[in-house]
Amino acid sequence: MMKTTALAAVALLGVCGSSLRAEPLTLDFWSVDQDGQYAYGMAKAYEAAHPDIKVNVRRVQFPDMVNDLARAAMTGNVPDISYVDNPDVALLASRGALSDLTGMIAADKTIDMESFYPGPRGAASVNGKVYAVPRGANTLALFYNADMFKAHGLDPDHPPQTWDEFYAAAKTLTDPAKNVYGLAFSAANSEEGTFQFLPWVQMAGGNYDHINTPGAVEALQFWQKLIDEKVASPDTLVRGQYDSTGTFNAGNAAMVVSGPWELPRMSRDAKFDWRVALLPVKTAGGPRASALGEGTNVIPTKAKHPKEAFAMISFMNARMPTVWNDFGFLPASKVDVPDPKWPAAYKVFATALEDAKVRGPSPDWVKISKPIQTAVQAALTHQTDAKTALDTAQAQIDRVLKK
Amino acid sequence: MKISGQTSRPGRIAVSALPDPTASTMRLSVFDTFRDGRGLDALLVLLTLVYLIVFGLAPILYTVLMSLQQVDMFTLGDFSRPFVGFANYVDVLTRPEAGMVARHTLVFVALSVACQLVLGFALALFFQQDFPGAGIMRGLFLAAWIMPGLVVGGIWRWMLAGDNGVVNSLLAVTHLHPTKIFWMSDPATSLYAVTIANIWLGIPFNMLLLSVGLAAIPKDLYEAAQLDGAGPVERFRSITLPMMRATLGALVSLSVIFTLQQFDLFAGMTQGGPSNSSNVAQFWSWQLSFQTYDIAGGSTIAVLMIAVVIGVATLYVRSTRHEQIG
Repeated sequence: MMKTTALAAVALLGVCGSSLRAEPLTLDFWSVDQDGQYAYGMAKAYEAAHPDIKVNVRRVQFPDMVNDLARAAMTGNVPDISYVDNPDVALLASRGALSDLTGMIAADKTIDMESFYPGPRGAASVNGKVYAVPRGANTLALFYNADMFKAHGLDPDHPPQTWDEFYAAAKTLTDPAKNVYGLAFSAANSEEGTFQFLPWVQMAGGNYDHINTPGAVEALQFWQKLIDEKVASPDTLVRGQYDSTGTFNAGNAAMVVSGPWELPRMSRDAKFDWRVALLPVKTAGGPRASALGEGTNVIPTKAKHPKEAFAMISFMNARMPTVWNDFGFLPASKVDVPDPKWPAAYKVFATALEDAKVRGPSPDWVKISKPIQTAVQAALTHQTDAKTALDTAQAQIDRVLKK
Repeated sequence: MKISGQTSRPGRIAVSALPDPTASTMRLSVFDTFRDGRGLDALLVLLTLVYLIVFGLAPILYTVLMSLQQVDMFTLGDFSRPFVGFANYVDVLTRPEAGMVARHTLVFVALSVACQLVLGFALALFFQQDFPGAGIMRGLFLAAWIMPGLVVGGIWRWMLAGDNGVVNSLLAVTHLHPTKIFWMSDPATSLYAVTIANIWLGIPFNMLLLSVGLAAIPKDLYEAAQLDGAGPVERFRSITLPMMRATLGALVSLSVIFTLQQFDLFAGMTQGGPSNSSNVAQFWSWQLSFQTYDIAGGSTIAVLMIAVVIGVATLYVRSTRHEQIG
């Protein structure tokens, strides 16, 4: 009798054990990716390596991510892992929506914050605490149409190095009769506008919190000149980067300021010899700058499985060398990328990333970015001069930063 | 059915004293009142009232509440937020773009409503004439009206594009305007670009409502006027216009309200830019709430707009009341 009971107990335990194993732990992962992109690819790889864990990826539209995470933080219905765009980390962290990962990273030792480029590292930390792990990076460089360079007597092996050379090349390449502009970029009334404008300010000596320095005014005047003399289309003010690059691919612009995310489309659509160069600097030997894009992986404060979530983030971080070839963005840390696709472009973008600066960080980034967009647009349309426009922006930004 | 069992209970004397037929009539009338009587009236009124309170009044009151508080994304679900009085109103109205946005809203609404009405009226009169295919062609006009606003915005964005837009290309071919107009990126034209798209979008609705009004005018009035020697202009002035007064009043009020709701075209075409040159109140409200997470500011603009809409709605109600009497 005793024996039977013991056996039954063992059997019962066995059943329990196996049923536990049959029901894998599910990690909820929010991201802005589409099927086949980063989050989905990583989820598949992680599930393959960890059969006891299921990763449930949910797609959130890019502009909705902060809204959705804030709502989730209020109701407690948060994912275990989420994508957060670089400038939004500070906002969410300041409102207590993100877990402080400093301790976990120190104990775990597989993630070395020092290995990240300064830009991504800056985006991930707020007041010395780490709230996010960069998942990758992108940045801006100058794509140019080498065939058009040759046709206009310019040397495609020596792309413009300084603003003056850049302007001269754009002017030479502009051909209104053929509906070709020398240059395409985006000065749109959105975060993309700020993303494209800040590097020029930084090269000239200024930044988001010093937006009305003499250098910043010169940068805006330089943009004004490009639009006024029609070397770039006036529609630059309403076009995002995707549409601007589209005009380059179609042969309606000889150069475009854009990022590595365009490489797959460009290699498909652009029927000419296109190349990539670093953004020109203000004067020879001057400081370089570029924008920092892409984002991070975070663990929301009320996540149900923070430990497992961190294990997966660590797993994803270890696969940093694959992100260029698999998902089309740059590694956020200094890792070797074996056999990169578009090797020449990779080299340029990886170099540009070293001088890429994060926007902010500030918990009120959106309220800083908006006045900058408005100032750029006001000056480019000559509603005000560059100095007045940036002074207005600076006054608004000061109000936000002093809060 | 007898209820004699209750007769012995003193407390129920009044009930038990009632003869049986009355009791059944009473039960019937309770049913009847909900089928066709005061009960039904009350029920229908109650349902409508609940609907209006839940989906109309409550959101409006909540918006008013938020406009008096300090609110952002993270305190949205929390009722205990600090009250700031009219600080949000002062803040919104003293922003540098406030005056500009108010002016643009006025221009956008006035131009849209006026042009939609005139063109819609002209088309309604045109299709009122009896010619082959009039009905079908009038029906086709409605296609514009059923299109989603974002799609309409996207298409107008292509047509008005500065470099390769079909509108510029037509203007160049016909030598009306040989140089390119950068409709959406030139601050002098951006508001008008959206207004043109909105006029196009609103014409079918205007035409439809005015056609209905025109059809309701008795034909013999025109015949009598014609016998009296009134020409077409005279007939329009002395018969059509006065008979359409109520319809026109209602239509103008509705158009103003619809135009103040127009969001999709701004989202699809200019995003309010360049540098707010095509920004209007409804889009600004959305920008504040959902782009800069300043929900209090967005609510404040919404409340100010509600005040305007209530004024217009009052006019609308009065004009429809006039319609019933006439």
